[in-house]
Amino acid sequence: MSVRKPAAGPASENDKDRNGRHGAPARRPRLRRPVPDEAGVVGVLVLLVLGVGLFQPDFLRTGNLLTTAHNSVYVGLMACGMVFALAMREVDLSVGGMYAMGIVVGALLIRDGWNPWLAAVAVLALSAFVGALNGAVTTYLRLPSFIVTLATSMLLRGVGLALAEGKQITDLPQEHAFFSVLGGDGTLGVPNAVWVFVLAVVVLGVVFTRTRFGARVRAIGSNPEAAEFGGMPVTRTRIAALALSGLMAGLAAVLALAFFIAGDPTIGQGYELTAIAAAIIGGTPLKGGTGSVLGAAAGTLILGVVTAALVFFEVPINWTTFATGGVILVAVGAAPLLRRVRDLRSSGRNP
Amino acid sequence: MLVASGLVKHYGGVTALDGVGITLDAGEVHALVGENGAGKSTLVKIMSGVVRPEGGTVELDGAPVRFADARQAAAQGVAIVSQELMTYDDLTVLENLFPYGAPRRGGLVSTREMRRLAGPVLAELGLDPPPHARVGELPLADRQLLEISRALLQEPRVLILDEPTSALPRDAAARLAAVTRRLAERGLAVLYISHFLEEVMRVATRVTVLRDGRVVLAGEPVADVGLDSLVTAMLGQPARHPAPAAAAPRRPGGAAVALTGVTVPGRLGEVSLTAAGGEIVGVAGLQGSGHLAVLDVVCGRARPSSGSVRLPGGRSPRSARHAVTQGVAYISGDRKGRGLMVDKTLWENITSVSWLGQGRGGLMPRRSGLVDRSRGRLERLRVRGDVHARASNLSGGNQQKVVFAKWLDADPAVLALDDPTRGVDVGARSEVHDIVRGLAAEGKVVFIASSDLAELVELCHRVVVLQHGRIVGTLDGDRLTEPELSLAMNAGFAEPPKPSGGG
Repeated sequence: MSVRKPAAGPASENDKDRNGRHGAPARRPRLRRPVPDEAGVVGVLVLLVLGVGLFQPDFLRTGNLLTTAHNSVYVGLMACGMVFALAMREVDLSVGGMYAMGIVVGALLIRDGWNPWLAAVAVLALSAFVGALNGAVTTYLRLPSFIVTLATSMLLRGVGLALAEGKQITDLPQEHAFFSVLGGDGTLGVPNAVWVFVLAVVVLGVVFTRTRFGARVRAIGSNPEAAEFGGMPVTRTRIAALALSGLMAGLAAVLALAFFIAGDPTIGQGYELTAIAAAIIGGTPLKGGTGSVLGAAAGTLILGVVTAALVFFEVPINWTTFATGGVILVAVGAAPLLRRVRDLRSSGRNP
Repeated sequence: MLVASGLVKHYGGVTALDGVGITLDAGEVHALVGENGAGKSTLVKIMSGVVRPEGGTVELDGAPVRFADARQAAAQGVAIVSQELMTYDDLTVLENLFPYGAPRRGGLVSTREMRRLAGPVLAELGLDPPPHARVGELPLADRQLLEISRALLQEPRVLILDEPTSALPRDAAARLAAVTRRLAERGLAVLYISHFLEEVMRVATRVTVLRDGRVVLAGEPVADVGLDSLVTAMLGQPARHPAPAAAAPRRPGGAAVALTGVTVPGRLGEVSLTAAGGEIVGVAGLQGSGHLAVLDVVCGRARPSSGSVRLPGGRSPRSARHAVTQGVAYISGDRKGRGLMVDKTLWENITSVSWLGQGRGGLMPRRSGLVDRSRGRLERLRVRGDVHARASNLSGGNQQKVVFAKWLDADPAVLALDDPTRGVDVGARSEVHDIVRGLAAEGKVVFIASSDLAELVELCHRVVVLQHGRIVGTLDGDRLTEPELSLAMNAGFAEPPKPSGGG
């Protein structure tokens, strides 16, 4: 199923041209699929927020919503990167470890006197490189990315623990602009980390749906054999997709480092699975071929809203994990059910 | 024995069956033919219980039947071998033969018992695979025969064979025809669905023809029906006899593909072959004789250990991707495996080689441009389908034309066709042939391998015959006939290979 992003200005003009010239044939698919695939999950998110707000009006305060969004940024970035891996039938289990390693390395570099901005760039480069390494090992040793990234997730977390000697790295120069810009209050009342997230969603969404790289990722995920026969650079694309996934984890690490002003090597346990769950909730199937960056972001926010809402409903903190698991199951179960209902209604024809 | 009558079925607004009936008697091979979309598959699905009709009945021995699935159908004596292979590639041969519960001894699966039961059936089909081999490693023909063995092991009274020979080489198809007749003699009712009309004439006792969801010929004895009237019944108009192959418009010094002394260990030995632009060159041989390896070296999927392959641009293909960028197109009969992304739209399929494979059109072309170009390709090849429709919604013939469209979009200089009309109907077959002739007339080099010898005879300027990886003969002009071709492929095949160069 091709993902129809909400059309930008020039694209909608093209659509108009096409309809004008060709009339009905060009219009038909729009009637068949009038809503973008992400509409469902975004709708659920909005309903969820309003529903919680109905019982807990304080939940709808701008400050609370922004905090909730800010908390979702880290997993959200990983989920957006994960869409590329999942869409080509790969999976990246190393993002949680990458995140912890990135934070520790960044913190150490800054403590050793590096300019924090430079340290951030170094973390980004390192995480993209390690992600590419994931892809290269997967390809050249012909191993499933599941196993390769399972191993690297432990390697990376292990490196983080060892470098940090198992302790938090503190005493960073917190008066530096890096910490106030990326970790602070931000622009137009919205934390800059949230802006970065929004920007990443837009850019990756366009990359996924409109560019050659994104189309290759989807084509290879749809039919790897046909892609090979069609001359697509399968190896290079796989390496790039996993590098992108690593880069997103690195970006999350940079933002987290700026916010927490500390390097905690035990941070981000299980984030990789939450990111995968968010991507699946957002309409990216494990079988590959399709996906949605916007959906993955919305999926992350759904999980974030639930976690935040539990606090408002004064659910004991020890039940949070249980509730999150329940939400994932319900959401992952409901999404394909909804899609099937819609497919039945819109196609009405056996292939 | 099995009687269907008055069957009606619609899919959306499309009428698949409109009052169709068919009667299968014990001891007969009843052929069912019709173009793609005539309703054959729907009829089979209804008779096997997979699809429920909106009207009409299916009766087995006078009692109305309803099967929930193929397993229940099998339990009541109706076995189906479907067109698509349904083997479990990761399981062994024996495990594949007993999918609904292997014979057990003391609660554990008994390999010995499985072998005892399977032995006679496999022998009857002339199949002798290692019993513990993974089925995915067997050649396609063996997998198809294995599936038929599996159906026979259920000891059915009604056997439905849906395109059983579409993947089979000639000798295996002949073996299957003989087995089919023997099964009927034993009292089975066999429904035999095939695109190969001559095969139908040989195997079947009676024939039913469907056109547009209606019966146009109901259970006529095959002896009373000629090939011509069969084709007329199917197509609704007199068959257009294939145009004789045009003389090769050889352009001296033009684009050509040259293989010089190409050796691929275990597959090809010292093969030399030149094909000029505008030429359609067939490669033929029995299974494993190396004719497909010729296509592989041209497409860069096999690299010669010695000798050279030169493409029109002067380069040698280094890899599949390199060959594609050098303008080599590979069109396989395996549409779903190697050709199409069935879950994607036609325009995404059509632009996938030129844009995603060859990298033409840049990093971020306008989508409307891609869609418009695809629409033009579809119109030129007369594909019935909207650019925004998914490939899975098309019939086999139209799917194959989409595969052609996507490769033509890459503007190839060389085409390697591997069984390009496998499993498509007569009408689509001749349209595909017209496309291939048109491409040759434009000066492209065409290589073709086919399990359908008539296709090679109709289409090719010359056919190169291989045995044991070596060229043993070349047929052209008046000598290019089906019997000659078959003879060249088979003659002396059992003898040890003689060291011979090739012309």
